[in-house]
Amino acid sequence: MTCPHLEYREGDGSREFETARAFCTVAERFVQPVRADICTERYDLDPEADCEYFREHEGLDWDE
Amino acid sequence: MTYQEYLDGKPVVVTAALTGGIHGKETHPGLPETPEEIAAAAAACEEAGAAIVHLHARRDNGERAFSTERFQAVTDAVRDATDDLVIQHSTGGTAAPDALRAEPLRTDPAPEMASLDMGPMNRGRRLTSENTRDTIDGLHAEMRERGIKPELEVFNDGHLNESFRILDDLADPPYLNLIFGPGTLSPPSPANLQHMVDQLPDRAEFNVIGFGPHQLPLTTQSLLLGGHVRVGLEDNSYYRKGERATNEALVARSVRIAEELGRPVASPAEARDLLGL
Repeated sequence: MTCPHLEYREGDGSREFETARAFCTVAERFVQPVRADICTERYDLDPEADCEYFREHEGLDWDE
Repeated sequence: MTYQEYLDGKPVVVTAALTGGIHGKETHPGLPETPEEIAAAAAACEEAGAAIVHLHARRDNGERAFSTERFQAVTDAVRDATDDLVIQHSTGGTAAPDALRAEPLRTDPAPEMASLDMGPMNRGRRLTSENTRDTIDGLHAEMRERGIKPELEVFNDGHLNESFRILDDLADPPYLNLIFGPGTLSPPSPANLQHMVDQLPDRAEFNVIGFGPHQLPLTTQSLLLGGHVRVGLEDNSYYRKGERATNEALVARSVRIAEELGRPVASPAEARDLLGL
């Protein structure tokens, strides 16, 4: 499983990379390596539980 | 570890933190990520005066990697590209399980040094580097078994307490890395650095990291206090406001400042003597 808002892209119009990198379509930017751990649910991380961008996009409060 | 040591011209050990595991080329296009890029940066930093390189490993797409295999690729490339640098592997890592955290210690040969986080550090709203005592003790035991010198990563005052807990288990000199920045790190200020140094035991050696704009002033202060310095793109992307840095430029600046202040820069061999490697 990965975040439904994750895409791997080689560029964003202004930058190009040789290897596709994690891109958050909610935040509309490439994500830092440590955040990609959430995007790809590594180490039991979960976008719905752990990602502020995902939760804001879904309208979830932190108390839920 | 004192102002007197500064006056006496004690050599300073410069560590280059080349890449880290938090940001990537999305932040700084010149950040080295592949084994070849990291090795080239290490060679440039050795030429500029670094004695130690602090290494992380990345996947092909720039994301963090903890595996022994990936660290082996990085460390092999660095050893091939450099003459005598001390190799230091990171064992830090947000959310990664303990078994993975130990993998960077298992390269052949083992790294001479490895970082050992002394407690938790928060990242964002729901990410934490846990670093429980159990994690610390497990990593420390494996370092001892493999003859790896731990660099105790002190993210705040409380981590000094945790360092003191294992001080008797450390070979002389204990080597503590004092880290200043946002969030759960020690608030960056000259007063806080002096305060932390005042609490260190006489037999300890210390190193200073300042994140972002705090790298230059706080590492310079470390020079005056008889400490060592770590610079590099892991901790700071900019040479000055608005101007991106390179690893070797940050090392070269530290070397220039140290020499101007009367601290000779330690070669890798001198660093091994100073730190008991």
